[in-house]
Amino acid sequence: MFLAFKELKYSKLKFALIITVIILISYLVYFLTSLASGLASSYTNAIEKWNSDQIILTVDANDNMMMSYMDQEDFDSVETTGSKAKLGLFPAVINDPSADNILKSRINVYFLGIDNDSFIKPSELKDLTLTGNKVIVDEELKKEGYEIGDLFGVTGSTQQFEIIGFSAKTTYQTAPVIYMSLVTWQAYRYGSSNTPDLFSGIVVRGQTDRLSSDLLSYTTKDYIATLPGYTAQVLTFSVMIVFLIIITAFVLGIFIYVLTIQKTSMFGVMKAQGISNGYIGGSVIIQTFLLVAFGIIVGFALTLLTGVLLADVIPFAVNVMFYLVITAAFFLFALFGGLFSVSAVLKIDPLKAIGG
Amino acid sequence: MKQLIEMIGVTKDFLQGDNVINALKETNFSAYEGELIGIVGPSGSGKSTFLTILGGLQKPTTGKVLLNGKPFSELVIKEKSKIRLEKIGFILQASNLIPFLTIQEQMVLYNKITKSKVNQSWMNELFLKLGVDKLKNKYPNELSGGERQRSAIVKALYHQPSVIFADEPTASLDTNRAYEVVKLLAKETKEQSKATIMVTHDERMLEFCDKIYVIVDGVLSQRTSKEVLVGRA
Repeated sequence: MFLAFKELKYSKLKFALIITVIILISYLVYFLTSLASGLASSYTNAIEKWNSDQIILTVDANDNMMMSYMDQEDFDSVETTGSKAKLGLFPAVINDPSADNILKSRINVYFLGIDNDSFIKPSELKDLTLTGNKVIVDEELKKEGYEIGDLFGVTGSTQQFEIIGFSAKTTYQTAPVIYMSLVTWQAYRYGSSNTPDLFSGIVVRGQTDRLSSDLLSYTTKDYIATLPGYTAQVLTFSVMIVFLIIITAFVLGIFIYVLTIQKTSMFGVMKAQGISNGYIGGSVIIQTFLLVAFGIIVGFALTLLTGVLLADVIPFAVNVMFYLVITAAFFLFALFGGLFSVSAVLKIDPLKAIGG
Repeated sequence: MKQLIEMIGVTKDFLQGDNVINALKETNFSAYEGELIGIVGPSGSGKSTFLTILGGLQKPTTGKVLLNGKPFSELVIKEKSKIRLEKIGFILQASNLIPFLTIQEQMVLYNKITKSKVNQSWMNELFLKLGVDKLKNKYPNELSGGERQRSAIVKALYHQPSVIFADEPTASLDTNRAYEVVKLLAKETKEQSKATIMVTHDERMLEFCDKIYVIVDGVLSQRTSKEVLVGRA
């Protein structure tokens, strides 16, 4: 520890450069992780909130909930030990009728039709009644200036909806979700005259018995994986993050190795004087850890700072579990980089320090 | 006088291709407390083989080395390292001060490694004796060559070893500085009852030595300083 610290103190500039590289890379990794996690959860927030075990669509829908059509008979045919709920899902474009420029006020959203007493309804807003044009909207719409009691219009309809509550973390495929009664949803989806009693899918808490051959059951996790772009996006981010961590290990390993090689004669002299391999090697490892620790603490702090500053602009999510895994990975790979140098220390022959 | 280090019947052979090289022929040697012993010889004569075997950095082919009357050369590497750390002081050409430690920290390092307490009063006494007390918070590259070697002597004495090995301690110094350093080394060897073994090219330094040995072609023989100087002339 003593030796490692003193050298860091003495060669400030040299180590500052290395730490800067680690800060930048760790910043990038933590930031990408937060972004990936934020983006992924903005895809799935609303689904996660259902707290469901299974989602049932029709076989014909080909994984696409918007193309799934079910009726009461389908609903009754599903037998479960737990509970089940009807769900209507369809995209919509809303606008602010009081805006100066209505075209500019358009926002893509998902209309979610549910029964008023359904477990899908955000639990914190249980007391609000979904009926007629009264809807609960995702709090993202607050950023657009909407408040409780405000009205919004929908492209392709003259109907206006009234906001009675804001729900937290309810986005579906990055778009805000708007909760409404199933009847209101059906009127929007199929028109207000001769409206068929159809909906999109069934959300189940608990296990189901055998389903009819028309219906297909997904675990919630599997359903999320079918969302367009979701899997590809998560994979892309994961690959980037994993590679960045490995690159950091290499960069750090090479830096430490070069520094170690530069000190070969000094280590030789130290070994001649009886200082053990363990102490010298330990000092190299400690130094590696200090560099990594310092670099990633600053990188992490910068990430959080960026998150706070840009919270409204980017989908930034704090995910403690991911942070821990990444931090552990940084240390683990840095250890490999350091061990590489320790093997070089072991090979130094103290004989060379004496005589010529 | 107490015998501190002894070499009994030591030889060292190297294999070079198919030939066996006798780097050190059968050698007997001993150093007593208070002795400054000079070793001279041309390069390739076996000087460093002699010193490295004495210091436990390589094993003799035959024979053995005793340190404070106890077997040394036969120990395993780890134990030899430990004994070197505690019982032997080194003064090397230029590089045995660690560049990123101040002079004082060079001493503290020994305590850190051995998990012992810093002996501040002894350290200060040594700094005063060798005239480097004002330099103790400086780094080696801020010192002159003479100051560095005087600091290296402090380092070699600080942990109170039995034996000191000085390998070309005056190599990078001008005559006056070299005299000054060797004089101090001789003085401390006497005062602290160490045995100091100094390998040198610099025959001017031999006048301070109590005994002088010459190594030629792996054979160690004792001379007087007059003989060495005349032999060279």
